Amino acid sequence: MEIFAGMDFSAIWKYREPLLWGLLTTLWMSFAAFFMAIPSGLLLAFGRLKGGWILNIPIMAFVDLMRFTPLLVQAVWIHFALPVLTGVTMTATQSGLLALTLHVSAYICDIMRSGISAIPRGQWEASKAIGLKPHVSFFKVILPQVWPLVLPALANVAVSTFKLTAILGILAVDDLMKVANRVNNMVFRPIEVYTSAALIYLACGLALTVVATWVERRYGSDRLDRIAAERPAPAVIVHNDRNGN
Amino acid sequence: MQFNFNIILSNLPALLEGLKVTLLSFTIALAIAFPLGLLLCGMRLRKSGFAARFAQGYVAVFRAIPEMVMIFWMFYCLPPLVGFKMSGLTSGSLALGLVSGAYLCEIFRGAVQSVANGQWEAGNALALPRPAIWLRVITPQAAKLAIPPFINHMTELLKGTTLLATIGVAELALRSYVLGAQTFRYFEFLTAIALVYFVVIFPVARFAEHIERKLAKATR
Repeated sequence: MEIFAGMDFSAIWKYREPLLWGLLTTLWMSFAAFFMAIPSGLLLAFGRLKGGWILNIPIMAFVDLMRFTPLLVQAVWIHFALPVLTGVTMTATQSGLLALTLHVSAYICDIMRSGISAIPRGQWEASKAIGLKPHVSFFKVILPQVWPLVLPALANVAVSTFKLTAILGILAVDDLMKVANRVNNMVFRPIEVYTSAALIYLACGLALTVVATWVERRYGSDRLDRIAAERPAPAVIVHNDRNGN
Repeated sequence: MQFNFNIILSNLPALLEGLKVTLLSFTIALAIAFPLGLLLCGMRLRKSGFAARFAQGYVAVFRAIPEMVMIFWMFYCLPPLVGFKMSGLTSGSLALGLVSGAYLCEIFRGAVQSVANGQWEAGNALALPRPAIWLRVITPQAAKLAIPPFINHMTELLKGTTLLATIGVAELALRSYVLGAQTFRYFEFLTAIALVYFVVIFPVARFAEHIERKLAKATR
């Protein structure tokens, strides 16, 4: 196997710093997109549940458009076609981050929607009965119960957000994949460069998957279905009856 | 700003050519992924042994690496390692197929494991031979359960074929991007293909959701 004897990883070692920066860009962008997508997904889900048809139709259209078109097309569209409409040009990083955030928030909207509607109606009624304002009952009563339900699904979305960042390299965002391309163009050692990049992605992806699996085991994958199936939850009714409601 | 969507009609042959490449890579990837998924699923369902552990490792690795990275690796590293040339279409579709195989394995496994245990016991009680239990009792029920996630994964795979653009395969996304760059009509071309993907994927995904709801109602 002369091909293995001819391998030379020292060239990669020489470019370890740019590669590290690429990895940091990848991680930074996936974290930023994911944590910006959570509030926007929550907002979308809320509009979908409480907004009436005026909000419902545009949100539904947005979510479906984001879920049913490829991220690559969305990223290129936002970078090249959107400036034609708005007249505002964005850097590659900005449009990449925007595309990724919008894409992920559509998925999070769906998750949050099923999470919020899995909370028994009695919880809303009870918080109304004790005189809480709607926004207080949402943030202090409903939302704390939603998190454990949606955490497993959110963990999976976090893993796929990390994987999707690799696509943003096409907009000349200097993430790990793009840096690997650039290094390869300089040293002409595709096997070593791309194998190293793949191994780094694999290590990060596996680490994230382990965390996601732990979250899923901790909070139970079928809890959402279970709670939705036995709605209204018996425990709540018993509690209310005892208080004479 | 003036929009001129007629330019898409005049470039329709080139776009259709791209659509053909997209569908071709989708078909190749599916032709690899489907048998691979079945094979891996069969291996993973064993209680122990090398095959089960191999399938488990395969699924973990191929689900953790981004498709993009896999496509680049297959495009640049596989030809020198195996010693013969491959086109971007071949290596890209191969990468998509190998990744999809891992996902399909999990879909099939989930479906088989959702079939109630009593079905196995009933088959054994009737003294059916094992292949007959598999083919005539378990598979028909599991196949029904696997349809919605399978269709959903097919839409993911179709979206994944756009990644071949990055290694220079002239599929739909790359063609319209290049046409947009040549004519400075990015908006028209990019909007048009986004709509094409949407129009194809939306009804299929909705159909899958419909079946899923019907199945949930039937099994409750």
